[in-house]
Order: sequence, then structure tokens, then C-alpha cells
Amino acid sequence: MRSTLKNPYVYLLFVLPTIALYFLFFIYPMLTSFYYGFTNWNGLDTKDYVGFANFANAFKDADFRHSILNNLIILLFSCCIQVPLIIVCSLLISGVKRLQGFYKTTVFMPSILSTSVIGILWGFIYDPDVGLLDKTLRSLGAPTIYWLADTNWALPAILITNAWQWMGFYIVLILAAILAIPREIDEAARIDGATGPQRAWYLTVPLIKPIINVVIMLSIAGALRVVDIVLVMTGGGPAGATDVMASYMVNKAIKYSDYGYGTALSIIIFAFALVLTALYQILFARRQERVEF
Amino acid sequence: MTPTLRKSIPHILMMAYVVVILAPFLFILFSSFKADNLAIALHPFGLPKKWEFENYREAWVKAKINVYFFNSLYLAFSSAVVGVLMAAATAFALVRMKFGRISAWIYQFVLIGMLIPGNVLFIAQYLLVQKLGILGTHWSLFLPYTAGALPFSVLLICAFMRSIPRELEEAAIVDGMNVLRMFGQIVLPLTVPALVTVFIVNFLGNWNEYLLSFFFISKDSLRTLPAGMVQFRDAFQTNYALICTGIVFSVLPVLVLYMFLQRKIIEGLTAGSIKG
Repeated sequence: MRSTLKNPYVYLLFVLPTIALYFLFFIYPMLTSFYYGFTNWNGLDTKDYVGFANFANAFKDADFRHSILNNLIILLFSCCIQVPLIIVCSLLISGVKRLQGFYKTTVFMPSILSTSVIGILWGFIYDPDVGLLDKTLRSLGAPTIYWLADTNWALPAILITNAWQWMGFYIVLILAAILAIPREIDEAARIDGATGPQRAWYLTVPLIKPIINVVIMLSIAGALRVVDIVLVMTGGGPAGATDVMASYMVNKAIKYSDYGYGTALSIIIFAFALVLTALYQILFARRQERVEF
Repeated sequence: MTPTLRKSIPHILMMAYVVVILAPFLFILFSSFKADNLAIALHPFGLPKKWEFENYREAWVKAKINVYFFNSLYLAFSSAVVGVLMAAATAFALVRMKFGRISAWIYQFVLIGMLIPGNVLFIAQYLLVQKLGILGTHWSLFLPYTAGALPFSVLLICAFMRSIPRELEEAAIVDGMNVLRMFGQIVLPLTVPALVTVFIVNFLGNWNEYLLSFFFISKDSLRTLPAGMVQFRDAFQTNYALICTGIVFSVLPVLVLYMFLQRKIIEGLTAGSIKG
């Protein structure tokens, strides 16, 4: 009976298509990226090896440096402002009995929608003439702000839209972890006289630290992955004010066919993703012990 | 503070959040029925004075939302189906067939894909589909979509298959069933819950994908909804009512799906992120 499950032809039939497709669209592009990144290819002329010139140029390129800064702003915003809000919201939802499912379903909803459609939707809300936001602000007496055309406001506008789309996703992640904590722990603390906020801060938060770490890691990765929303809402403008690394790379490659330089930028993005998540792991996540119930 | 007040504070805060989430949708929905920008600008919050259903016909036909819609539908569907079947076959081979060491290697190899952020591969994939001669065709989306979903799908289906007891398969072998029929008639039906989850996640991902579909497809008749919507907005920059109608067309199917399958969707999407 063993031989049935040892049929090498069937094994190949089942495994080979997956491996082939995966190799062609994941591994091969990754390898060619490393190759193109060291050339000056622009799609037409010969590919000449230029060593680390692309990488050196990238860090000399003031526009690209600005886009790195924007990525870091997005990263700091999501880790320092969104994550605490996410924790508070999931604590609030976990504390109620009625409407818990409704809150969970509703806050999660934006994360299943297309980022490009959300970009269009919010572009409309930010519209200075007919948009919802401006109508509201003006009725409160605030001056008209050209959100997406103003170099000071365009990035905050994108940050808000991004937070609007993704916060619910993380709230649901943390909520699931909170609801998985055995009730007895909470009840014991209640009997000992701990108030709601005390129980939340001294009991629940320490118990869900592993999942908070996951959320922070995902936020770091997410901040480096931001691209659709920028391309749709502002295209990186006004005057590069909202360009992130990925949108800058896409524009370089598509508009100027600067493939060599563009792939070098993509390798830099990849390196940032690896280094930042590894740094976080080493500095913070490793120190904590996993909580087992 | 009275106990009732203290109990209602979380509800008040969360209701405020819910309003922030839902208000844009209501705004879009109402605006989509309004005659023109003036009607939107004068009463941004109110219901339309006169319901303009004509907007929907105009957006569907004239603005070619119907074309984008069906392109998205069949691409998202076919790629998700093919991806799920490929991943299921691979997961079966890796988990159940007796090729221990090789299977472990292949499993690790496929999972590396989850470390690579999607947009990093953008240019290289662009050049690849160009070299393959499929740039500008639906193949240039179908193949990367299917491939892109494989690591997550294999991971999730493998995890599920490991939890299925082997007895049924062993009985099938004793009865002389060959491995292909066993896969099709016993393993696949048992794996359906995981397959559905993976299918939904992949379908949503493909339905929503923007970056590749915008830059790999230049022919208007081949565009998918997310890319077509951006095109549509740029073309109808001044007609907000029509843009809102387009948004409704692209968001509504997902929301309907979400209404019926919310538990599956939430479970699938969160599982994908945590395990990755």
C-alpha cells in the first residue's frame, strides 16, 4: 500500500506546476532584480555592468531620500499613533457584550476593499469644492484646504486614508487574541477589586504582547509596501511631497524606462524591509517570553 | 459616574468610529444618485432631491464599467480557482506522499515567497512578462496573480491537511484506489473548508489588485476594475456623481460577499497575515 503514495510521476505532476510558476514569477524576478540592479539598462541600449553606481546614486538622489523619509514617517505614524489606538479600540470592543459582532464586522470592512477605489473615494472626500470633509470643516468655520494639492497637507491626508483602511484589520487581529484569554484570569482580578482600566493595562495588554508584536511587524512591512494609495491619490505629487520609495521606483521604471536604476531601488526597498523587521525582532520582540496559558 | 454611563462609554466611542467608517460610503451612495456636482455641493449630507438612476446606466455602459467589471470577475475567479487547485495538489503531495526530505525542502522553498514584498518584484515582473511576449494581455495578470497566491495557499492548505486523519485515505488505498482518484474523490472534498477560505482570500486579492493591472494592461477593453476606475476618474474628473456610481459598482459586490461570508473572510485574511 505504500507504493500508491510513492508514485513519483504523480508527485511530479502535483508539485512541478506550482514550483515552475512560483520560480518563474518569484525567484527568477528576484534574481534578475539583483542582476539588473547592477547595470545601467534602460530597455534599449546594452546592459553595462556599473557596480554599485545605482545604489550610490540612489542615496545621492534628493528626491529618493525624500521618499525614504516619507516611508519612515508612515512607519512612525502607524507604529506610534495607530498601534496604540488599535489596542484601545480592541480593548473597548472586547469589553462590550452587545453589538460586539457589529463593531468587529464594520471596522474590518475597509480592509477588504481595493486600495485604488479607496483612494478615489477619499480623493472625492478631500475635494475642496464638493468633498464631504471640506463641507464639514467649513461649516465649523475653518478655511478651505486643498488637501491633496497642498505640500503640507497631502501626506497627512494619505496617512489618514491609509489608517482608515487598515486599522480595522489589526483591531480584529488583537481582538481575537483578547477574546482567547481565559475568562478566569479576568474574573480573578475583578474579584480582587481591580477596575476595568487596571485590568486592561496590567492584565490584558501584557497577555497579548506577542500579538502586538505581530501587529507592529506587519505595520513595518505595510509601511514599506504603501504604493497604490499614493499613485492613485496624488501620483507622488505635489512636487514629490508624497512620493514613497515604491511609487518613486514605479515612476522611474515606467515613465523613464530606467530599469537598472529602478531595480536597484527595489532592492533597497527589500533591504529596508529585511533590516527594519530584523532590527525590531532583535531589539524588542526577542526580549519577551511567550505567554502560555 | 453612574454604572450605566460607564457602561455606555465604550459604545459611544465605538459608534463614533463606526460613523467614521460608514459616513464615506453613505456620502458616495447618495452622491451617486444626484444629478450633478451642484446637487452634491449644495446638500452633501442629504438624500438626493430627485433620484437619478440614469447615472447607473450611463456608468455601466458609456463609461465601460461593465467591461472592467467582467474582466475583473473572470480574471479574479479563474486565477483563484487555478491557484487553489494547484496549491491543493502540491499540499497533498507534500503532506501525504512519501517523499519526506524533498517535500520538506520544497515546502521551505515555497514559503520564502512570503518574505518578499510584492512591489519589490514589480519591475522584474514587468520585464519578465514583456520578454514572454504577454505584456498587455490578460496572461500578464493571470500568471502573476496565480503565482503570487501560491505561498500563502500552500501554507494554509498544508496546515489543514495535516489535521485530517489518514484512515480514510488508507482505506482507499487498501481498496485499490489509485492516487489521482483518491486526491479527487477523498482528499479534495475533505479539504473544502480550507479551499473555500483560500479561494476567497485569493479572489479578493485579485479583484482588488491595482499596481500590475494598471501598468501591465494598456488596452482599455482589457482593464480590470481598480485600474479602470482610476482611468475613469481621470476621464470624468469633473463629474463626481458618475465617479461615485463607478465606486458603488466596484464596492458593492465585495460588500455583498462580505455580508454572507464575513466569518470566512475575516478568518482567511487574518490567518494569512499571522502565519506569514
